Amino acid sequence: MTAPILSISGLTTAFKVDSEWRDVVRDVSFSIAARETVAVVGESGSGKSVTAMSIMRLLGPNARSTGNIEFEGHDLLSLPAKEMQAIRGNRIGMIFQEPMTSLNPVLKIGDQITEVLMQHKGLNHTAAMTEAARLLDKVRIPSAKARLNEYPMSFSGGMRQRVVIAIALACEPRLLIADEPTTALDVTIQAQILELIKTLQREEGMSVLFITHDMGVVAEISDRTVVMYRGEVVETDTTKHIFRDAAHPYTRALLSAVPQLGSMIGEPRPLRFPIVDMATGEVQPVPRTADTVRMDAEPILKVDKLVTRFPVRKGILRRTVGNIHAVEDVSFALRAGETLSLVGESGCGKSTTGRSIIRLTDMTSGTVEIGGRNVARAGKGELADIRRNAQMIFQDPYESLNPRIRIGDAIAEPMIAHGLLNGAQARQRVGSLLEQVGLSPSMADRFPHEFSGGQRQRVCIARALALDPKLIVADEAVSALDVSIKAQVINLMLDLQEQLGLGYLFISHDMAVVERISHRVAVMYMGEIVEIGPRHAVFENPAHAYTRKLMAAVPIADPERRRVRHISNDEIRSPYHNAGYLPSEHFYREVGEQHFVLVDSLETAA
Amino acid sequence: MSQPIEKAASVHAGMEAAASPASSPLRRVVVSLLGDRLALIGTIVVGILVVVAVLAPVLAPQNPYDLAQLDIMDGRLAPGEQGISGMTYLLGTDDQGRDLFSAILYGLRTSILVGLASAAIALAIGTSIGLLSAYAGGRADAVLMRIVDIQLSFPAILIALIFLAILGQGVDKIIIALVVTQWAYYARTVRGSALVESKRAYTDAARSLALSDRRIIFRHILPNCVPPLIVVATMRVAYAIMLEATLSFLGIGLPVTEPSLGLLISNGFEYLLSGDYWISFFPGITLLLLIVGINLIGDALRDILNPRREG
Repeated sequence: MTAPILSISGLTTAFKVDSEWRDVVRDVSFSIAARETVAVVGESGSGKSVTAMSIMRLLGPNARSTGNIEFEGHDLLSLPAKEMQAIRGNRIGMIFQEPMTSLNPVLKIGDQITEVLMQHKGLNHTAAMTEAARLLDKVRIPSAKARLNEYPMSFSGGMRQRVVIAIALACEPRLLIADEPTTALDVTIQAQILELIKTLQREEGMSVLFITHDMGVVAEISDRTVVMYRGEVVETDTTKHIFRDAAHPYTRALLSAVPQLGSMIGEPRPLRFPIVDMATGEVQPVPRTADTVRMDAEPILKVDKLVTRFPVRKGILRRTVGNIHAVEDVSFALRAGETLSLVGESGCGKSTTGRSIIRLTDMTSGTVEIGGRNVARAGKGELADIRRNAQMIFQDPYESLNPRIRIGDAIAEPMIAHGLLNGAQARQRVGSLLEQVGLSPSMADRFPHEFSGGQRQRVCIARALALDPKLIVADEAVSALDVSIKAQVINLMLDLQEQLGLGYLFISHDMAVVERISHRVAVMYMGEIVEIGPRHAVFENPAHAYTRKLMAAVPIADPERRRVRHISNDEIRSPYHNAGYLPSEHFYREVGEQHFVLVDSLETAA
Repeated sequence: MSQPIEKAASVHAGMEAAASPASSPLRRVVVSLLGDRLALIGTIVVGILVVVAVLAPVLAPQNPYDLAQLDIMDGRLAPGEQGISGMTYLLGTDDQGRDLFSAILYGLRTSILVGLASAAIALAIGTSIGLLSAYAGGRADAVLMRIVDIQLSFPAILIALIFLAILGQGVDKIIIALVVTQWAYYARTVRGSALVESKRAYTDAARSLALSDRRIIFRHILPNCVPPLIVVATMRVAYAIMLEATLSFLGIGLPVTEPSLGLLISNGFEYLLSGDYWISFFPGITLLLLIVGINLIGDALRDILNPRREG
């Protein structure tokens, strides 16, 4: 291999916290060769982002780095600020996670690109504009020249990320540092951006340092992989080798926790994640899940022709000029002990469906029955009864617990408020609920901020269980969690389903997790269910074009199965229609046993 | 290019470095408050003034409200002079022979009482209306907030003047007038933060647990609206005290026999140019210290309770 473009040895970065220096990154060493893609992978707090920031010397005065970072014959750590400025953005380009905030909203796209070109390359304005148009073309933005005069607000998230990449490429850098560039994007858009980065790397002949938490993305894009854990590098190897034969227990644990799309072929029921002993790296077998679906009883949840629209009002008279058709004619049923997943990309109406079912959002029409009772027509008292049967778990465990209430009180509150138990009984039940979700009863006196994200989500589950519900609506309940924590929480949810016979409506954008946990799957697009059926049928024989597109976009955590993907550069469409729009009726075709596909949009989508 | 990068970088670094040690919110506020030098000075000044006001009956050499203890012959004595009864007037006397030191202590008492009482009542009313407005939404919200708008568009002093003209003099009347001028500020503040809190997931969680509206409002939303409320309340107490002083100065607040700080200043105003400065000067200084002290605390609290600092 040729001489490395970037080589890092003994990098240690410390932050000053309360007048004390604390190491966040310890003794990190790795190198990147020319035209090579190296992924740095780790969970939150592993120090992967800080490593990238240290290379760019972008950390504030409360941080200090020691060690050696060699780039094109310069030691970046000892370079004077001015020379560093010439390298940053010029020889090394960088892209960030959040495309919504990394562009200046009050400057035109063209101005933001030409700014770099004029400063670093000394081009005049006309030449810079021509070059900017060429760059936008390069990152595959349609009608590039016309869009130079637009502001960031008229670009979607994926398009903005393309602009950010164009800016990073403006000075033909030798190295591109990408810090979680696709994490905030939908899966089909993520696939587009990953393909784009791969193509550009080939075209420009640059090296890429790719920082991510997603093993699937790693397998998809990188030649070599650096695994970080608690601020240290635990393993560095070729990506193929790491996935096939990881040496370090942590890497093994991380890999075993990654759900792989297509790994469930032939499995009749949801599967727990294997548990890896962190000390030895041994994989412990987990019990198979029992058959929990109660086919004999009436479904606990029946949704029939559910429609939820949000009016868009304009003008002084606040006239309704149009509607967001968030949920459009959605019907399904869910049995006790069954997990039905609603899967789709942002804006497809999956969350609104969940919220409408327990009436956190008012539905426009249709009926929802929980335990045989009509949710929409329930009065105050009856709604309270219904909600005792149906609980919700939310995405962000930091937001869904009141920061000023001790978690024991938070869990006990519904039981006491509904007069089910008195204080002492409630305390006892809180203890047993905490144990049930894998926490210690002694934690009841703590405040939410004393817990980690995964623990908080366990607390939320305990609180949801307090009223003995039959149905739990889990709205992206594991999406905000780290891979290994995600696996644990999913195992917990499967345990609870076995013990309590819970029905889950599992709302998620993550196809791989959905495949692992579901009995049945409904794919949503633009407010409609485009395909619904048993998990194996939907995943093994996807019948709708959108389902296939979604599956093709999911990165697979196996470098051996890297495929040439044909990713269409479509945007996600908006479900907005003018007032008076009447959606056409929905017809479903049965393509297999209990497997239905939406008919009328079969030809038009994708 | 460099600008967005650096901005994003500092955000990142902030996130990574944010290691929050566990401690109760109240304790954290008190510790930060006493750590800020200006706030510490403010706290000490206000603390001393409050203690002195509470202990006025013990500390004051004379009861300034008891007309039998006053001697008109002692009128307008300079600070340190001795009166007919042999008593030394530390800060001099006013035109009715009232010991200014005692009068200031008692006046302080009235000022602080009026300020706190009116702030407390306005806080209770404003908070209830703000919460109701935020939680009910729709038409009720629109009507209540327009009333607040109208209220805020009139100068407070004008509203107070009208009310006192109708109600007449007295401590209770002035408190009512101050409440009328102040509640709208609290209502606006609470509505704003309650709207934010009611959109957060924990409120949704509470609703899906089928908790009653009352419980959600008072146990879940209200406690999270307290920080901005504290800041507004501190500032408003100072404002209420000042407004009371202004009204008394104009002669429509409290009766002449029970002078508050404003009335004392007013009493000495006509002698100011004839050299008898002390009658206005010392009550004025006391009022100044009180207001500045409270504002220093308020400023520091605003910084400490800023949600962006909380992280």
